[in-house]
Amino acid sequence: MITVGVDSGNKNTKAVVLKDGKVIGKSLILTGFDANESATKAYELALKDAGVTAADVAAVASTGVGRVEVKFAKDNVTEVGSAARGAKFLMPNVNTVIDLGAEEGRAIKLNPDGKIADFAVNEKCAAGAGSFVESMSRALQTTVEEMGPLSMKYSKEVPMNAQCVVFAESEVVSLIHQQTAKEDIARAVHDGISNRVSSMVRRVGMVDDLGLIGGPARNIGLVQSLKDDLAKDITVPEDPDYVSALGAAIYATEIA
Amino acid sequence: MFEQFKNWFESRHDYAKDWKERTGGKVIGYFCTYVPEEILYAADVLPVRCLGGHEPQDVTEPHIFGMFCPFCRDVLAQGLKDKFDYLDGITISQSCLHLRQAYTSWDMHKPVEFSYYLPMPHHVQSLASRPFLRSELVKFKEAVEKWTGKTLTDADLDRGIEIVNTNRRLLKQIFELRKADVPPLTGLEAMYLVLSSQMTDKREHNKALKELLDQLPGRKVEREIGERLMILGSENDDVPFTEMVEDVCGATFVIDDHCTGTRYFWNEVIPKEDRLQAIADRYVDRVPCPTKDWPKRLRVDHIKNLVEEYRVQGVIVVQQKFCDPHELDIPAIQQSLKDIDVPTLFLEFDVTAPLGPFRIRVEAFLEMMRQDDLF
Repeated sequence: MITVGVDSGNKNTKAVVLKDGKVIGKSLILTGFDANESATKAYELALKDAGVTAADVAAVASTGVGRVEVKFAKDNVTEVGSAARGAKFLMPNVNTVIDLGAEEGRAIKLNPDGKIADFAVNEKCAAGAGSFVESMSRALQTTVEEMGPLSMKYSKEVPMNAQCVVFAESEVVSLIHQQTAKEDIARAVHDGISNRVSSMVRRVGMVDDLGLIGGPARNIGLVQSLKDDLAKDITVPEDPDYVSALGAAIYATEIA
Repeated sequence: MFEQFKNWFESRHDYAKDWKERTGGKVIGYFCTYVPEEILYAADVLPVRCLGGHEPQDVTEPHIFGMFCPFCRDVLAQGLKDKFDYLDGITISQSCLHLRQAYTSWDMHKPVEFSYYLPMPHHVQSLASRPFLRSELVKFKEAVEKWTGKTLTDADLDRGIEIVNTNRRLLKQIFELRKADVPPLTGLEAMYLVLSSQMTDKREHNKALKELLDQLPGRKVEREIGERLMILGSENDDVPFTEMVEDVCGATFVIDDHCTGTRYFWNEVIPKEDRLQAIADRYVDRVPCPTKDWPKRLRVDHIKNLVEEYRVQGVIVVQQKFCDPHELDIPAIQQSLKDIDVPTLFLEFDVTAPLGPFRIRVEAFLEMMRQDDLF
């Protein structure tokens, strides 16, 4: 059976084609103004990548902030539900899932059978999410891709108090004026996010193993800060940004 | 069936102005539900609760700290913007400092002919609170007498007690019906009942409640009931949020613990020869607000009882941002519900609730509750 999951996120729309428990195609594009249009495009690209046609697909399920907008989906599942399914599928030993997006962060505690025991979501603030790194990388005149490797070379811990993206940026600027090394500032940015995310994880209660999914999981500097903060190892699957779309594709098999 | 109550709530200012015109009586705004409305009704004064307007505003910054709760700032804004310009008096009983600041600032900038701060004791778990509150009520009664020029007799107080007690009794009878498998009213409809009760003449409200009570037993909410939810926490008159949870997410609120809900009317004045002592006892014994619920946390058992009686499957815990008293209570309440396997969802309210993000959370919460049926 072939199913497709579409994750309509704040920043990117992802689609995953699943065939009998195997991912055979995927796509990722920017979410435009029209979420349904972006979803349609991502869907078509993923089908092309998999070498199948819409006629082969048994069911499509959507997830993400724009999930209701995805008109061609048979049903939708919340971000928490899709993240839990996708993470458990890829990392069977994981019981605490940290899901970071562009503007949202979530911590989900799972029961051994994969069911959701509890979850927490960041409040109305992007300081615990991917956009934060992006805007800080601008202040440091580097790219979001470079932030991770840069911070791995840090030599000094610099405390950053601000919890708000806007105020944090002015704090970064004042660190620059104090001639703080770029590497140390990059580390401080990741430590800042990590603090926010870790409190959320502690709120739901940590159960081993920990898994991290979502685009920001590609940032090795952030992963390191989180590991140091929680004093735990954290599993990151290959292609962490597609996990929720994969979770939706799994959900689609349940409703097909 | 609920149109009248909804209209009263939505046109509260028109109602109060019209009431003044028809009766020639005085209207007093009260800030907290610890104000003894019995004494005001005895004096033929109409008490109306000062609630917020749920609109962004820019007038309170010079008067109240930005990290005081949004409800208090919203209430003060209503005063500063003359939304309650028909009030003849204002009054507050001590509960939280944020709200007291709203009252103090309102009093300073929009003076009216009568203003009264009632020092309701915090330590209601002490026996000493009973004579303390009684003696404060003596002073309050005297102040009201001086203001209205009317001496309040025992017969007047009995009448005041009867009006407010009847309202409480009727509301409770209607809330009892929500225990049914298919309740005859939604959470939103119940919300309109209590909120309108806080801003209309209870004699008229009682009449409408009686008519409603006659019709309700034959009625059933027409849509699927979905999950039976309880909502509890700070002041809550957020209609759009309640509407979203029930109409969009498909669950139903069957009970609450708010001062804009059950806490307002749950217990009655038990008649006593000493009327003021009887009234004082009622406020000491009522379901406490978190500012008064210590050293023992009596509300926790009360909430657990409601969960059991109303067969609640999940609880949404809301708090007005920066509301310290509730912040102090919420971890204990969530833990105690967790101990009896009742899931909770915590949401932080502001002047306007962010419906998009809240919807995602409520749906994920319901999905979590539903997963046993899914697999």
